[in-house]
Order: sequence, then C-alpha cells, then structure tokens
Amino acid sequence: MQMETVRFTQNDLAKYPFLKETAAHMKKLNLKIEELANPEMEQILNRAEERVKSAILSVSVGKKRENYVEIPSFPVAIMLAIATKNSFIKKRYALAEAKQAFSDMRFETRERIMAIALDFDWNLAPNRSSEIPFEFALNFADYLRNTVHLRDTEWKLVNRILVNGKVYLNQHDVARLLQEEVQSRIERRLEATELPSFPEKITEMAERLIDLAKDRIGQEEMEGFPKAVSQSAFPPCIVALHEAVSKGHHLSHVGRFTLTSFLVSIGMPSEKVAELFKSFSDYNERLTRYQIEHIAGERGSRTRYTPPNCATLQTHGVCVNSNDGSCRGARNPLVYYKRKLKR
Amino acid sequence: MTVSSRDFVYEKFSDFYSDPSTVIPSPSLLGQRELGFLLFKERIMLRHKVFARISNLKLFLGEAVPSDVYRSCAYYENPAAEMDKKGWLGADLVFDIDADHIPTSCSKIHDEWTCANSECGFSGKGITPETCPICGGRKFDTKTWPCDLCLESAKNETAKLIDMLEKDFGFSAKEMSVFFSGHRGYHVHVENEAVKTLDAMARKEIVDYVFGLGLTISGGTAKGKSRRRGASRDFSLHDFGWNKRLKLGLQNFLLTATKEDLANAGIKGKSAAVLGNKELILKRCVEEGRWGSVKGVGVGTWKKLAEYVKDLESAKIDTVVTTDTHRLIRMNGTLHGKTGLKKVEFPLSNLKDFDPFKEAVAFKEGAVKVFVSDAPEFRLSGNVFGPYKRKTVELPTAAAILLICKGRAEVAS
Repeated sequence: MQMETVRFTQNDLAKYPFLKETAAHMKKLNLKIEELANPEMEQILNRAEERVKSAILSVSVGKKRENYVEIPSFPVAIMLAIATKNSFIKKRYALAEAKQAFSDMRFETRERIMAIALDFDWNLAPNRSSEIPFEFALNFADYLRNTVHLRDTEWKLVNRILVNGKVYLNQHDVARLLQEEVQSRIERRLEATELPSFPEKITEMAERLIDLAKDRIGQEEMEGFPKAVSQSAFPPCIVALHEAVSKGHHLSHVGRFTLTSFLVSIGMPSEKVAELFKSFSDYNERLTRYQIEHIAGERGSRTRYTPPNCATLQTHGVCVNSNDGSCRGARNPLVYYKRKLKR
Repeated sequence: MTVSSRDFVYEKFSDFYSDPSTVIPSPSLLGQRELGFLLFKERIMLRHKVFARISNLKLFLGEAVPSDVYRSCAYYENPAAEMDKKGWLGADLVFDIDADHIPTSCSKIHDEWTCANSECGFSGKGITPETCPICGGRKFDTKTWPCDLCLESAKNETAKLIDMLEKDFGFSAKEMSVFFSGHRGYHVHVENEAVKTLDAMARKEIVDYVFGLGLTISGGTAKGKSRRRGASRDFSLHDFGWNKRLKLGLQNFLLTATKEDLANAGIKGKSAAVLGNKELILKRCVEEGRWGSVKGVGVGTWKKLAEYVKDLESAKIDTVVTTDTHRLIRMNGTLHGKTGLKKVEFPLSNLKDFDPFKEAVAFKEGAVKVFVSDAPEFRLSGNVFGPYKRKTVELPTAAAILLICKGRAEVAS
C-alpha cells in the first residue's frame, strides 16, 4: 500500500533544492548562464556565493532568503563550486547542503519524509507493526547503500532490527540516511566534466573562494600526503603485516593486498615494495612486480588502489584490534598514518 | 598423480561432458556472465569466455574437457573484455560454506599435512600446524577429505544462513538456490533485483550480519558514548533480529548446558548458580525478560553467555567470496576437479535429507583397479568403502576417481 504522495510547495523546493522537482521548476524559469552577470541577478548570485562560502567556513549554507532568490541560488552555487575546480570545496559544499537538509528533515512531517525518500527511489514505508517501536521500515538494500560511510557501530546492520527484509528506523535515522543520499546526489552533479565557459564574474568569485579555502584549510590538507615514508607512523595492522613479511611468514591474500596498497599509497616506490616479498618461499619476481604495479595503478586499469577500510580488515581478520588510541575514529589505515604524521 | 591416473580421469571427464544425457543447467542471463575453465593437462585458467547458449557451452566442454568450470556471479555488458572494460552491471549475492572454515572433531583423523620444505618433508595428521615442528617451515602440502561429519557441519551452517536470509533479509524461496559444491561444502546463491547492484562494502555488512561481527550486546560496563546516552547497565534482549536469535540460542544452550559447556563459555565461578537454577532462569529471565531476577546470575554472566551463543548462532561462511563482486564460482552441473563429484542444486526444503555422497555422484558405471596409499572409510552411492592402506582394490569408477583426485590412489598398472 502506497501512502498518498504529497505535493511539494514552493517552500519545500526552497528548503530541499536538490529534489528532482526543483530541477524541473528551474527548467521552467529558463535561467541562462550568460544572464548571471546581469544586475537583477545580483541577489541570486550573492546568495549562491554565500552558500559555498559558508560551506568552506563552517560547513553550513547560511540563512534562507525569499523563495525567488533561494530556489535559483542553489543551481548557481553548484555552478560556482564546479567553477572552482577544487575537489575539497566541492566535497565540503555537498556536505554542507546535506547537513542543512538533515536538520530540516528531522522535524519534517512524516508524509514529506516519505515523499523525499521516494524522490531518491527508496523503498520506505511507515511501520505498521505495533510491536516494533519505530516509525519507518526501509528496505535493507537502501539502508546499506547509505550507511557504508557511517562508522558508528550503531549503524552496523547487525545492530539493527532487521525483519523480513526491512530495517526499522526512527525519523532521526531516516533523516540521517537521506542526508547521505543528498550528499552523493550533489557530489554527482559537481562531477560535471564538460565545463561551460563561465562569465568573468563567476570566475572571479571562484578564485576568491579558492583563496579562502587555502587560507582556511591549508594547502597541505587539501593536497594529501607528504612524500617521505615514515615507519613510526604505521598503524598496528600494517606493523604486524610488515613484521610478518620481513620474517618471511605467509600472508593471506587480503593481507598482501592491504600491505602493498598501503605502502604504495604513502609513496613507497614499487621496486622497494617488491623487495619486501623476496623472502617468501613462493616468491616470483616477475609476478610480484606485476601485481604491485597493478595496485599502484601503473598497469591495467590505471586505478590506484587504496587499502581496504578498517571495517573490511576486521571482517577478513587482518585488523589486530590493538588498543592504540590513534585507531579510534580512523576508518582506514591511511587516516591513522596521516594523523600520526601531523603530530 | 601419475600420467596414467591423469589420463584415466581425463577420459572419464571427457565421457561425462560428451554424453548426450548429461544436462548442464543454464544460469540466468548466461550471455552476460564471464566463464572460466581450468584445463586438465596445461593446468592453466582460461578466462573471459562467453557463451550465448548452454548448448554451445556443452559442446565446448566435450572438446576442451576442463577439470573445473566456473562462471561469474556478476553480469557484464561485455563479459569477454578485460576486467576493467567489462562494464559491471550487477552480481548475485553468493555464499560459500566450506568445511575448511569450520572446526570439526573429525578433521583430526582424516586430514594430513606434509612440510613443503623438500629437505624436511615431515608429515602429520589433523589440523595443519602454524610452523613445522622439525624445520620451522611455514608452507605445507595438505590432504583433506570430504567426510560425512565435515559435510554435516557445513550443512548446519548452511541451515543457519538460510534461516537468516529468509526471516531477517526476507528473501523468498524462489530467489534463493542452494547447491552442494562438489567438494567440502555448500553454496547459496541469491538473485534479487534490490541486492544485485550492492557494492562490496554493502555486501560486507551482510557478511558481518551473518557472522554476528560487530554485534553490540547491551548491558554491563557501558563506556563512552553509549553511557552518555544513558544506556542501561542491565542486560536485556528484545524479540527481533539478532536479539531474537540470541534469546532462542540462550534457551537452547541452557536447556542442555553442562558444567563443561559453561566453562567453554567462560563461566567458571558462577556455573553452580546457573546449573542449580536452570528452570528458574529459563522461565524468569529468558521467557519473561527479567534478566536480573536470579541471584548469582548477573550482567557479567549474561554477557558471557550471549557472546558464546552468538558464536553458535552465527553462520560460518567464507567472508571473501560474498564480498567479491566479480567472483567466479563453480558452475552448477559440472564436475569438481578435486573429487569428480558434481556441483548439484537441490530444493531448500530438502536440506536436511540431502545426501551429497549419493546425489552428486556423476560416474555410475564401470570399475577399475587402483592402488590406494591411504584412505579413510567412506560412503558413495549407498556403498561403504575402506579404510584402505597401501592396498590394491577394484573400485567403482566414482570411488576410484574420488580417491585419485584427492591424491589417495593411483590407477594400478
């Protein structure tokens, strides 16, 4: 049984500008990119800039305006973020919009939550079982798609009420999962590879935003790892794998992959990684080099692999479950490494 | 394996695939799957093959005579392309339950290992040690055996898995298929639209659910976040999902628990309190949910029991298989190169009575004389054979092939 779908109002579209319906509404307005430089567009442009700026400064999107400004400012802000060509700004902006949506959705009516979920093609229903004290029932596949990035153990499927394919949730949790969905939808829109030629005004704004981000966040944080390899910053799982390899002990497939992808990711050259495996009784130089180069993205698909996340390493028995404080809050061995290096 | 033994097995496999009465059931959307073949003589893997029709595949099998036939769980736009150009469209959700991953009492009797160090060669029976007691080497050649007990334990794990897939994940009997793998275990395949496009991370969560990994058992010394949120220090279980499984598990465990069982669960000092009040505990605590109502049986005891029962109730699957969205898995109806038995599908409802040593037998005719180095007693097609030690015997084809493929016998010259 489907619940009656509610129609979104203009207020809804302003509040949830990422909906498909908002996009349809915008199409009707027929806003042209060249027109953005016109003075009557100034309000919209300023609001758009504020959205991205607040995202960089405080992971928020600033105060809402009148609907006629608010609604079109969203696609303009998207364009602005694209124009920065800066992945940090894009990520941060998507997160800020998603967080704003979350705080609005927490107190939204149940009908509107259902309608928003439907916009993302979720299989969500109001809970009809009087025995289970939750308001919503969500298909577990939709649940899993949106919880993979949530690290808290309470989000693990095993800690949820799962009955007959449905995960039972309260509104707070549904809103939190929709936040993930909103974020990835916006991130997809920001991935646009074909860039239009932006009016000068937009390019200038984008430049200012990049400067702001550099100033605020720091160059290093935005760019990633320093080049020198520091063994003292290895997380416990890597230390264990590294020791085992040095002693010529056998490693599981997942173990080998984890160690190799970790070392390659922190900038160790392939030849040096290959040397590590020399003491193995089944060592085959050509094959080992081939595999390492594959992981390093120097061959084949050119994908550079990163080590599996901590949760995956736990599943496959590679995590050593140490009491090392730096492990707490790290979801990937690389996060640990990066954090330790900073100290 | 000697050349004449290999030729014998090859010839029998060839007969099997060329026989018009051999039926290889087609998996769904065969044309979108990658096929792989392990070749008998060359011992190499042919990959990235595609067959539009099962009849074409059957013809190919008759000509190429592979020792093992695999097909992808995944669907691709272009299954014949290189891995990164295949265009992944989705994958079935598959589970592999193998006796190798389940501790059993019998493996001590029929499994053998030999140190791979050619200068050492020390060997022993039972579970393979971490290091060779003589030379300290870490590589071993192992000989395992698909025995009744092993397969029975794999079957129990399969039953637990299917129960979760049905009741918790809500898959219908129509969406699930269960197979004997042809060697030491069972496969469960799920074909469901919502699950098809789940990535490795999402599948990992399913694995953790089935394994009970990361399950938080409430009560006790709640630390950090959960305490701040005002989590109760009391032990409690509700009636849904894993909590329900723990509750039923506790009930079953307590009904028959002995002092030794409790010791295994880590309960020593309190075992008298548990054993002396068994009925009271079952009624007041487990049934009525008043977990703290029996003196001497507190939060600590309940947590230990629940942790132990979690292990009993979880299904021991091979975690790597389920999370791999490109996995090649043995094709239904084809022969297993390590046994000469077929991978066979059977109805879910038949799990309890299914007899792999009967239903999976592919070779029903003929006999051959073999020299058996060492084999435990085994059952095949309703007959009992062995045990044999350094003995020449005439055996039915299926039994001879099983022993040869497992490295326990050679064709007698």
